[in-house]
Amino acid sequence: MLVIRPVRQADLPALERLAGCATPRLTNLPAHRDRLEERIARSQRAFAAEVEMPGDEHYTFVLEDLERGEVVGTATIRAQAGAREAYYTYRQETLIHASQQLDVRREVPTLSLSHEVSEATLLCALSIDARYKGTSAESLLRRARLMFIAQYPERFAAILAMAFPGYLDGQGESPFWNSVGRHFFVRDYQEINYLAGVRSKSFIAEVMPQFPLYLALLTPQARAAIGREHPDHEPALNEMLAEGFLRSRHVDIFDAGPVIKAERERLASFRRAAWHPVRIRPAHTLPDAEPAMVANQRLGDFRCVVARYALSPTGQLMLSPAHAERLGVEEGRAVLAAPLSLPGGIDEHDPGYDEGEL
Amino acid sequence: MRIRAIAEGDLDELQALARETGVGFTSLPDNREFLAARIAATVAAFEERTPVDQRLYFFVLEDEESGRLAGCCAIEGQVGREIPFYHYRLGTLAHSSVQLDLHRTIDTLFLSSDHTGDAEVASLFLRPEYRGADRRHQRNGALLSMMRWLFMAEFRDRFPDKVLAEMRGVFDERGRSPFWECLGSHFFPLDFDQADRLTGLGQKSFIGELMPKFPIYTPFLSEAARACIGQVHADTRPALAMLKKEGLRWEGFIDIFDGGPTVEAYIDDVRGVRLSQRCRVEVSAGESAPVPRPRWLAATTGMAGFRAAWVSHGPDTQGVVTLDEVEAQRLGVTSGDTLRLLDTDEEAR
Repeated sequence: MLVIRPVRQADLPALERLAGCATPRLTNLPAHRDRLEERIARSQRAFAAEVEMPGDEHYTFVLEDLERGEVVGTATIRAQAGAREAYYTYRQETLIHASQQLDVRREVPTLSLSHEVSEATLLCALSIDARYKGTSAESLLRRARLMFIAQYPERFAAILAMAFPGYLDGQGESPFWNSVGRHFFVRDYQEINYLAGVRSKSFIAEVMPQFPLYLALLTPQARAAIGREHPDHEPALNEMLAEGFLRSRHVDIFDAGPVIKAERERLASFRRAAWHPVRIRPAHTLPDAEPAMVANQRLGDFRCVVARYALSPTGQLMLSPAHAERLGVEEGRAVLAAPLSLPGGIDEHDPGYDEGEL
Repeated sequence: MRIRAIAEGDLDELQALARETGVGFTSLPDNREFLAARIAATVAAFEERTPVDQRLYFFVLEDEESGRLAGCCAIEGQVGREIPFYHYRLGTLAHSSVQLDLHRTIDTLFLSSDHTGDAEVASLFLRPEYRGADRRHQRNGALLSMMRWLFMAEFRDRFPDKVLAEMRGVFDERGRSPFWECLGSHFFPLDFDQADRLTGLGQKSFIGELMPKFPIYTPFLSEAARACIGQVHADTRPALAMLKKEGLRWEGFIDIFDGGPTVEAYIDDVRGVRLSQRCRVEVSAGESAPVPRPRWLAATTGMAGFRAAWVSHGPDTQGVVTLDEVEAQRLGVTSGDTLRLLDTDEEAR
C-alpha cells in the first residue's frame, strides 16, 4: 500500500536518493545533504506552526510504499513562492510597434523579468522513483498536495503555480540558457541549476539582465524552447492541465520551462472533493468503484491514500481496515475524498493562455 | 576654390552632387524637393530669419574656374529640435556577485536622445575629381571640413555648447551592414537603403515608432554585428582622423542603423575654434607665388556674403594678413576688412 505523509528526519537518505535521480535535476531539490536536512526541519516547523496566512512555510511530503518499507517519492508545497525573496520568472510579453508613417504594425515579443508569481503557492520539488513513474502513485504524489491545501485554505494562496523543467537537448544542454543566461554567468546550465538549488534561485536572479529581452535577438533554438517542457514531464504537465491549471505567460528564467497557474477553487480536485464519514468494512466486501484520493483531517499526521470511492447509500465512504489504519481514522470520522481520474480527455483540453489576472 | 553659402541657383548642381553620394550618406538624398528645402533653409539661416535652434548652414565648394560645385558641407545649428535625433549609447553594466565569484561587465546599447540641442557638422562630400592625387595639393577636403570651425568660432553665439559628427559605419563587400542585419532588420520592415533614405529625408518618426526601446545587451548580437560597433567605413577613416585631430572624440554613441561612431566635442575645445583668430586685411598688388601646400585657412566675418578659402600667408606680428588681389577677390575683401584665420598646421596646445 502507498501512502502520502509529511517528511521525517529518518527520510533523509531516501530524499538524497530521490534528489539524485530526478531527471532533469531539480533546482528545488538539490542533492545536497545539508540542504535536504534543512528542508526536512523546515517542513516539520511548517506542519507544527499555527498559520493564519501563507508565508515562508514549506511543506514537504513523501510517498511511502509500506510493503517495501521504502520512501519512493517526495513533493513540496511552498506556501508562498516568493515569501522571503522574490520568485523570479520571465513573462512573455508582446509590444506593438506601429508606424503611421510606414503604415505597419509589428508585434515585438519580449521576455521581462517578473515577480508576479511570488504571491502564489508553489507546488514543487517532486521526484519519484522510476519504478512508480506513470502509475497512480505518481498522480497521488502530485495531487495529494491539493487534498492538503483543500483542508487548510488559510495556509495557502488562492492562486497555485507549478514550474515544469524546461526543454533540454540530447546533450542535456538548455538552448535557452545557452542563448541567455550563459552570457551573463559563463557557467553551464547544470552547474547554475545546482548552485541555484544549494544557495537560492532569486539570489542568482538578482544578477540576471534586468531589462526585457527581445526574442528576435535570441537563437532560434532558444526561442523554440520558451514555454516548452522537458519531454519527461509532458504527462505530468498534461495531468495538471486536465486538473484545471492553465499555461501562463511566465517561464523559468534559466531554461524557459513553462509555469502553469490556477485559481485553486477552479481545480477539478477542489470542486469534486467531498467529506464523507467513514464506515469500515472488510476488504473483500467492498463494492467495485472508481479510485479516489482519500485524506484524513490531521494536520501534522496528514495521510492520503488511493482507495475505492465506494459510498454507502447514506453517503458513507466504505474503507478497508487497512486503509482506515493507514489514515488513522476510526468508524464515523470524516475523510476528504476526490476521484483520482480527471474529467474530460486530456487531448481535448486546450488551455491556451490565461489572459486574465493570472 | 572657395566656400560660400549655397544659393537658390545651385539646385541642379546640388542634385548632381547628391546623385554621386552613395549608400550610408543619409543627409544628401537625391530628392529635388528635399534639396530645394535645404537651400531655402540655408538662405533663411544666413539672413538670420530663422531662430538659432532651427538653422541649417549649407556650404558649397565652388570651382571659380569652371563655376562648378566641387563639394559641399553643412552645419546643423541644433539637432533634434523638430524631429527626434536618436543614437545608441554603448554603456557598461556590471553583473557581479561575490557569492557566485562572478564579476562581468556587459556592453549594452541604450537608446538615447542625449544629443538633442547639439550642433552637427554633416553632409561633407567632395567630388572624386577634386580629391585625386593631382588635387591633393589643393587640400579641398580639409577646406570643407575645417572652414566650419572658423564659421562656428566667428558666430559662436549662434551655436550651443557641443558639436557632433556622425561617421558612416561598416558595410561588407556586398554593401550590407552587418549591424543592421543583426539588429535593425528585426524591427524595421525595410531594407537598410530604404530606412536610410527616409532618415535622410528627415522622415524619422518611424524610428521612434519601431525601434526597440529597451537596452540591447550586446552579447545577443552576432560577432559580425558587434565588430561594427563604433567602427567606420574604410572610406571614412580620413574624415574621422581629421575630426579627431580637431579634438572630437568617440564617447560611445553610435548610429542606430549601421553602428558607426558619432564623435563629439565642446565647441570651445575644438582646435580650429580655439586657435583661429581675427586679422586685419592688407591687399597687395599682383599675385603672390603659389604655395606648394596651403596652410592658412581664412573666412570672412559676415553672414552675408560669407566666404572661406586657403590663403598663402599668415598674419604678421601686428595681426595683419597680406593677401594678393586674387585671394582678396576670392574672399570678397579689401584692405581694412577683417578675416578670421587658422593655421591648420599649428599643433593643439
